[in-house]
Amino acid sequence: MTDPGVEIVAGDPDEPPDDSPAVAQQRNVEMVTLAVTLAFALLMMYDNWRTGISWEPTGPAAGYFPFWVALILGGACLFGIVKEIVKRDSGRDAFVTRSQFKRVLQMFVPTLLYVPVTQWLGLYVASFILIAGFMIVVGKIKAWKSLLTAFIFSAAMFGTFEIAFDVIMPKGPLEHLFGY
Amino acid sequence: MEAFHLLLYGFSVLMTWKILALMMVGLTLGIFVGVLPGLGGPNGVAILLPLTFTMDPTSAIVMLSCIYWGALFGGAITSILFNIPGEAWSVATTFDGYPMAQQGRAAEALTAAFTSSFIGSLVAVLLITFLAPSIASFALKFGPPEFFAVYLLTFCSFVGLGREEKHKTLISMALGLLVAGIGMDTVSGQLRMTFGSTELLRGVNFLVAVIGLFGISEILLTMEERLALRGHAAKISLRVVLKVWREMPRYWATLLRSSFIGCWLGITPGGAIAASFMGYNIAKRMSKDPDSFGKGRIEGVFAPETAAHASGTSALLPMLALGIPGSGTAAILLGGLMVWGLNPGPLLFVEHKEFVWGLIASMYLGNVVGLVLVLTTVPIFASVLRVPFAAIAPMIVVSCAIGAFAIQNAMFDIWLMMLFGVLGYVFKKIGIPMAPLTLALVLGSRAEDSFRLSMIGSAGDMRVFWSNGLVGSITTLALVLLFWPLIARALAAMRKR
Amino acid sequence: MRNPIAVLAAASLSLLAAPSYAWEPTKPVEIVVAAGAGGASDQMARMMQAAIQKNNLMKQPIVVSLKGGASGAEGLMYMKTSPGDANKVLIAYSLIYMLPLSAKIPFNWRELTPISVMALDEFVLWDNTTLPYKTTKEFIDAAKKADPMFKMGGTGSKREDHVLTVFIEKKTGAKFAYLPYKSGGEAATQLVGNHTASNVNNPSENLEVWRAGQVRALCVFSKERMQYKTKVTETMSWNDIPTCKEQGLDVSYQMLRAMFLPGGVKPEEAAFYTDLFKKVTQTAEYKDYMEKQALKPVFLTGKDMLKFLEEDDALNKSLMTEAGFVAQ
Repeated sequence: MTDPGVEIVAGDPDEPPDDSPAVAQQRNVEMVTLAVTLAFALLMMYDNWRTGISWEPTGPAAGYFPFWVALILGGACLFGIVKEIVKRDSGRDAFVTRSQFKRVLQMFVPTLLYVPVTQWLGLYVASFILIAGFMIVVGKIKAWKSLLTAFIFSAAMFGTFEIAFDVIMPKGPLEHLFGY
Repeated sequence: MEAFHLLLYGFSVLMTWKILALMMVGLTLGIFVGVLPGLGGPNGVAILLPLTFTMDPTSAIVMLSCIYWGALFGGAITSILFNIPGEAWSVATTFDGYPMAQQGRAAEALTAAFTSSFIGSLVAVLLITFLAPSIASFALKFGPPEFFAVYLLTFCSFVGLGREEKHKTLISMALGLLVAGIGMDTVSGQLRMTFGSTELLRGVNFLVAVIGLFGISEILLTMEERLALRGHAAKISLRVVLKVWREMPRYWATLLRSSFIGCWLGITPGGAIAASFMGYNIAKRMSKDPDSFGKGRIEGVFAPETAAHASGTSALLPMLALGIPGSGTAAILLGGLMVWGLNPGPLLFVEHKEFVWGLIASMYLGNVVGLVLVLTTVPIFASVLRVPFAAIAPMIVVSCAIGAFAIQNAMFDIWLMMLFGVLGYVFKKIGIPMAPLTLALVLGSRAEDSFRLSMIGSAGDMRVFWSNGLVGSITTLALVLLFWPLIARALAAMRKR
Repeated sequence: MRNPIAVLAAASLSLLAAPSYAWEPTKPVEIVVAAGAGGASDQMARMMQAAIQKNNLMKQPIVVSLKGGASGAEGLMYMKTSPGDANKVLIAYSLIYMLPLSAKIPFNWRELTPISVMALDEFVLWDNTTLPYKTTKEFIDAAKKADPMFKMGGTGSKREDHVLTVFIEKKTGAKFAYLPYKSGGEAATQLVGNHTASNVNNPSENLEVWRAGQVRALCVFSKERMQYKTKVTETMSWNDIPTCKEQGLDVSYQMLRAMFLPGGVKPEEAAFYTDLFKKVTQTAEYKDYMEKQALKPVFLTGKDMLKFLEEDDALNKSLMTEAGFVAQ
């Protein structure tokens, strides 16, 4: 697009190509999701049945509503699964292509690891590692820039929450060293 | 005249340096959050909510609502300059806003968007100002059956009027209702669906779910797409502003119509999204030249922006008076209210005058200041998008984690947030709508409680839902909306004959 | 955001004034409220926050954290799962006895460290002013004949309000439809809106609507009248409310308001808080609050407190058992 007005351009070092092969089909993912949700609904039905699903003189018991809601949820999932099976058209749309999936994992895996690290080292140190690491590895941004950005951001968060607003966050050994 | 005095009182509450400073901070943060991809109104407010936990309620609500106005303004910037709607309700703004930017009229489009947002919220605030004194006594009419009828109306309108496949809407809503039921059941005092876990005892917090469903999942979705951005820079000069303002009166009918639609949909829980589309479509239909819409017509920016802001603002009224949030953001503000130690409801208007009227006055002031701020600083905020996404993404993740943790000081909530993040990602990709899920999470246990309280009160007699004009008409309307697709078909068939 | 200069000034002042302790908090202290926003516990926590900050009783800031989820069980479990953390104080009420019985929550107050009893809270029988029943007797007589039953509002299920309702039923033979709301504030609003005929709220929960003339105080569930004689409404003071026993309804119940630290804290930590709360009871804020909200100022610590807790626990247990609220 040759557009005279375009002035702001932010690049992307590794754009996902359009012709990457699919990791999963839309239809399969949908069916698996519905099946998992169905299992969840069955579990909830069982638990609420245990709690009590009768209609007492003073109205429904504690498990009554959740039981029927779970039943509706299960029914809707079943309907969705059957509909997908019966549907004739190929349903070959890609849910996610390989290169897309790689990028999603690049985001998701560090985020997932971030949680136990927070528990261990405290939120601020974990945040520093996440931001700096992500910028260097995924963003391919210069190391000093990344480290500086991560440090400034974590320090700013610490200043805002711990010092200015008294909102207490999980902290680890480093903060204890400074008496927090 | 009572309203006028109370409003003056509200302004007097605001006139301290501290609160004015908080307003500026809130607006700036809000615009920032609105411009960032993957953040926006509701989750932006949810993430910044912890900042206010230790403030007094008035300062807290002023700052938070300013974040909200800021986010609304910010959403328009990305829609127009980059064709990226920051939130669902700015989608309609891109229809004509982006073409205008392509034609080199970005400054005009932005001015139009900001000004019409300002007008939309102004109309809604005027409405709130004059309704607020009487809404408190009206709200006292609401007992358990009335509350249940309103919740029912909300749920039914989603199922009946939603455009998604019905079974997917149902899945989303039922899942939300189930998750909302986890924990202790207020009516019987029994635990349920906790499986003996003490973490699940307190239930799943709505805010944690929202941060996951919208914040984390949005980051994952954005990662998947290409991150390169191409956008138009815009510098707004006074000349352009005045030019747009001179043109505005010509479109008074569109502005008025959109404001009305917005207020209506905001007070009855329909939401800003529906309002912006409806505003746009009606403006197009009423226009003499409907074909010029979508090709960079300024009216196409006026209509959705006015409606979205009118609706977002007026949604605060039922939230304050009844504790029924009219929009996602209102639901988050409702969560805030509880943390600050306030109970929504009619007594709020009596016991916490300074809070209610401080908020209303801040809507006036916040919008004026916001308009000026955003008109003068657009280039700075637009350049935020120059920052590579690889730097923004982990920062957003961190902000989400802080937000999720701070709500209940629980590590478990960060895990829950991750779970909802994955859920939101998958659901969005397979076309299960998010709105019914969030709605059910907020209203689920309230709806159940009010139903069961009604049953205890009436000794199990269902006729209680038709026992007076108010509750009867709401219940009936709810059922009509639920079966609307069938009714519409039947009506069409009859007409054919 | 606090004014940094004021904070500095306060900090330096307290450095000069405060005696040195064997231990002092080094982090902001959390007052954990195991109840909803705006309820009696929340209000009391905010009063103590103000009293401590205004009188510079502690260097560290103090924050109120609401943990009212699962009818307050959230707050109790939060305390239980933070052993040794002396930066958390629970503001407890009869929930600590009742919840483990009714909902089988794995909690026992003996696992926490009792610091002090701060006050005893009263319960009052209220009805809506638009109803024609001006005395307890008229109200109860009407309730006996009413069809459909009168609705009684209250906070939570199988808790103090519910127990009181059951005992009113047992003593009089009248039957009520008990509506469990999420908070005392909601119960008050619903009474004003005439959706319930009566409730058994604490004085603080109905104070505003009583003052506005929207609800009527029938009697207080106590052995003697409340001591405060300043007029609250145009015609009545707390002292003018008759006891239920005077009115022929022999039910009495009072609820503790007490402070607990988590279990396993060091003696010097407990000592700091005992001293802190002792000072709180001497502040103008505390005295003012007691009178305004009609609480009975009682201060117990150490052995006296333990004895009180054991007796109170036994009493609550027997009430719950008799009401049939103990989960199998």
